[in-house]
Amino acid sequence: MTLKILLLTAFGGAFVTYFLGKVSSKLRNYFAVFVSLTLFVAVACLYGKSAENFSYFKFFGNTLVLRVNSLSWFFAAAVSAFGALSVIFSLDYMKGKENLDFYYMMMLLVNAAMLGIVFAADLVSFFVFWEIMSWSTFLLISYSGKNALPAGIKYIVMSLIGSMAMFFGILSIYVNFHTLIISEIARGIVSASSGYKIFILVLFGVTFGIKSAVMPLHTWLPDAYTESPTPFSAVLSGMLTRMGVYGFLLFFYVVAGASFFFDIDAGISKFNYILCWLGAITIVIPTFIAMLQNDAKKLLAWHGIGQGGYMILGIAFGTSLGLAGGILHTLNYSICIVLLFMSVGAVEYRCGGVRDLNSLGGLIKKMPVAFAGALLGISGLIGLPLTNSFVSKWLIYKTLILKSHPFLAFAALIGTWGTILSVYKFLHNNFLGELPEKYENIRKSPVSMQIPIIILSSAILLFGILPGIPLKVINTIITSFGFNSLNVNLWGIASETGTLNTINIFTAILIAGSVIWMLFRVGKKSFPVTQDDNYAAGAYVPAGKYNYTADFYAPLFKIVKPYLMDFADKFFGWLCRVFTGFSEGVRKIYAGDVGYYVLYILFFAALLFFVQSGGKSW
Amino acid sequence: MVIKLIALPLIAFVIGIFFLGLFRKITARIHRRYGPPLTQPVIDIIKLFYQKSVSHGRLFDFGIIVSLAGSLAVILFLPFAGICPLESSGGLLVIAYLLLFAPLGIALSGGEAANPNISIGISRKLILSLGYEVPLILILLAVMTHYKTISIAQIVSMQQKTGWAVFSAPLFLSGISYILILPAMLGVRPFDIASAPQEISSGVKVEYGGKFLALATIEHAFHLFIGISLFVNLFLGGGNVFVFFLKMIFVFIAGVFVHSVFPRFRTEQAVKYLWGWPALIALLGLVLAVTVK
Amino acid sequence: MDRNKISKWLKEPDKMSGKYSLWALYFCTGCGIIEVPPVLTSRWDAERFGVIPVATPRQANLFLITGYVSVKTLRAIIRSYEQMPEPKYVVGFGSCPINGGMYWDSYNTIKHLDKYIPVDGWIAGCPPRPEAIFVAVTHLWTLIDKGMAKGYVKYREKYELYRRNQEKVLGTLEWPPLFPIKDDGK
Repeated sequence: MTLKILLLTAFGGAFVTYFLGKVSSKLRNYFAVFVSLTLFVAVACLYGKSAENFSYFKFFGNTLVLRVNSLSWFFAAAVSAFGALSVIFSLDYMKGKENLDFYYMMMLLVNAAMLGIVFAADLVSFFVFWEIMSWSTFLLISYSGKNALPAGIKYIVMSLIGSMAMFFGILSIYVNFHTLIISEIARGIVSASSGYKIFILVLFGVTFGIKSAVMPLHTWLPDAYTESPTPFSAVLSGMLTRMGVYGFLLFFYVVAGASFFFDIDAGISKFNYILCWLGAITIVIPTFIAMLQNDAKKLLAWHGIGQGGYMILGIAFGTSLGLAGGILHTLNYSICIVLLFMSVGAVEYRCGGVRDLNSLGGLIKKMPVAFAGALLGISGLIGLPLTNSFVSKWLIYKTLILKSHPFLAFAALIGTWGTILSVYKFLHNNFLGELPEKYENIRKSPVSMQIPIIILSSAILLFGILPGIPLKVINTIITSFGFNSLNVNLWGIASETGTLNTINIFTAILIAGSVIWMLFRVGKKSFPVTQDDNYAAGAYVPAGKYNYTADFYAPLFKIVKPYLMDFADKFFGWLCRVFTGFSEGVRKIYAGDVGYYVLYILFFAALLFFVQSGGKSW
Repeated sequence: MVIKLIALPLIAFVIGIFFLGLFRKITARIHRRYGPPLTQPVIDIIKLFYQKSVSHGRLFDFGIIVSLAGSLAVILFLPFAGICPLESSGGLLVIAYLLLFAPLGIALSGGEAANPNISIGISRKLILSLGYEVPLILILLAVMTHYKTISIAQIVSMQQKTGWAVFSAPLFLSGISYILILPAMLGVRPFDIASAPQEISSGVKVEYGGKFLALATIEHAFHLFIGISLFVNLFLGGGNVFVFFLKMIFVFIAGVFVHSVFPRFRTEQAVKYLWGWPALIALLGLVLAVTVK
Repeated sequence: MDRNKISKWLKEPDKMSGKYSLWALYFCTGCGIIEVPPVLTSRWDAERFGVIPVATPRQANLFLITGYVSVKTLRAIIRSYEQMPEPKYVVGFGSCPINGGMYWDSYNTIKHLDKYIPVDGWIAGCPPRPEAIFVAVTHLWTLIDKGMAKGYVKYREKYELYRRNQEKVLGTLEWPPLFPIKDDGK
């Protein structure tokens, strides 16, 4: 029953927010924050509960049901947390924009729909919530008009293709098993033929592949992330895209079942290895494309695709360690990317909407909190020790190496080094280097932006030093899938083939750091100088001209640029044009002249007559 | 344990500083000069600590501390002649990642100073590291796949049973590739593009003076120690303190020979070189390690 | 190392290390610089005295003014000198920095360098032989030992005077004063 109330609050809150906005904008803002925080608290209270099948509605004789277990709790908690933080972040960021009632309603609606998806226990409610999510996302992506509209359309077209695949899959499942409740399907599917299972998995795989932007299906993502309002970009990258990962988990491990999932042969290779390789490609290419970007949000968007590859890799590889790594990386990555989008948002807000990495710089002294957030965010994306992603990446690498798949591991590791280059460019061009003169007088980011940034930054460190906190939940998830339980403790994972102990690393760095710090203090006190006091070959630094940001990796680009084209995007563009041309041809039938239509009717009647007579009239 | 924790960084410091001195001495002798005394780096470091310096802000101080602390932490995870206080904490993968602290710290520190020479230096350094990481990752994966462990201490102990990895059939190609990229890892000429004094005024160190430069020099010493000791551990089979040190000296002197006779690569030349033969050999080495049991 | 030297090291490590590790700023001010490369490379090998060239003033503690100083160069010299960390030593190399040398009547050169920055020692000659640099270095050692190479202290104490002299030649300087000026001298 609590789930029903929770979802009612979520959806109801969204609509009430809209109408409150008509009364007072302040009230609306507070109410939106209140609703999202309530949801977070409510979800958090569900921790450890596991309940199946609350029926809440009848639909053509099928009961629609909800359920909560460790998997859905994990995702629901993340969804509601990021949702609440982005709503808080929106308060100042969206101030003064138009149509805010609509914006807040949509933010809450997306949130509610995602909660619905993770709590849904039957495919109809899953599909309905999925569609609500897709459509409200579309409206939010195209919220700012102009360039955002094509981006939104690109998104919704791909999303619809995915939805159609899913719809088709659901119908087929219903025809075969006469039930739509997930746990019952899981029981029924055991007896199905292997070909049918692959058919179902591919159909749903397309849906979730589009949503989580696996490599050939990723093309909607860069534009959508770039064009949507930044707080929503955070939600979009943080959790919405990762609904695809949830879908993969649900269908591979809950519906199809782990034991079965690894046994399917799809022609040459195993089904999950194909997915692994897709994941590997998804890691490498986007991270290198990200290096070429000059728009801060676009750069992060390409990382959104790239880091998704790690999750797919971990999940599809499917050993206890790999799976744990994949799921953990979903959370860790989300924390990092939400944080990074928020830092970009703070910079954007203060610098008048500028995101171009070539024209920013030196903001560290002006916006220290945003800088700290960005620093921890990029450390997390890289997976530096003591940040959260280190643990998840370590788990994935270790599985791949010990199971003798070094080539997959190579893709994953080289992706990390590509990440370093591009995110360092992001950090440097935003915050380091010389401050342009026009930004001399900008102020710190407002408190409503600082709060989420600080919370997420501390989460990165907390989960990095004590990875046992999320790993414990994940351990229950993977045991519920039927995998061996991991030997998790608060500071890492113990196993006979190599132990991870983050406390050791933490202490080592802490002690080393304090020793060095003492050494640093022993030396003569340094003399503080301004940013302008630089070595410039004996000249005084020319203001505003002493910055190196454009073409940051020029020598590398000379080598790699010819190989880094988005071929998938080109292909889809071509497909699009072909379809448009075809449809244009079809449209010509409707010439708008009555004479033509009479002619069509005559032809049709003649055809009917011809068929009726069986061709005998010849 | 505690003694090991204290002793290992000290050993690394002494060896690293000794290497710096040896470096200058041998280079001088190859140039037919007399060269500075072996203790010259020590004198330099003492002088630098007594010098005043300028600081461009908090991150400027913080970055250099992080950088050196990262290198120091790596040393605790890296076995030296079987001494490894923190071996059971994640193995080779943790070392590969901890190695990132040093360049990142220096990059952050330099970033606050608003000097384009620093930015160019960082950009070059990152490109170079991407260049040599491609073969290096292949090499590390070959080693880890062959020995079926990620613990570096176990790799060493297995080599002591079966012989040096560089002479074993599945890994000799990886060993060759490692030798080819070692100058790039150590940042010696022809790969000193990141700190090119004549082009970009010593790159990231351009604003460093006094104690900052002293810490950067110590970091460089540690870096030499780490790069060489990793090679000795992975491919030359470790050994006791004396043998290990001897092997390190041997590898190091080979590196110095390369350093003192080569001019400097351009950045893209360096990357092209590293992604050419070394990467190819490393790839073949990985295939060999996977196929040959 | 004899016992005397060791006790000196223990007593005054700052002076001793400063003496044996003179890092020279790689700065070509005039024709005298042509004598410096042989000093640094194989022929004379300055590195055995601990003298090496560095690329930026932030790392250097020895400034060799090698040759005539034009007004334009003076600006760069002052800037570089101010960016060097203390303790720092300046050696004028050749006749030109001392008294203008063969450019004694030029409209565009500085005749007396020590009006603008403090100079700890001079090497006369036009230009001097490379060996003279070693003589200068060893002489600088004695000066440091005796505490007489205190140009940088003088610069700090008499900064107003130096700054006024500099501005007389160069006009208003773009950069703010290195040390606080109590009285602007007007």
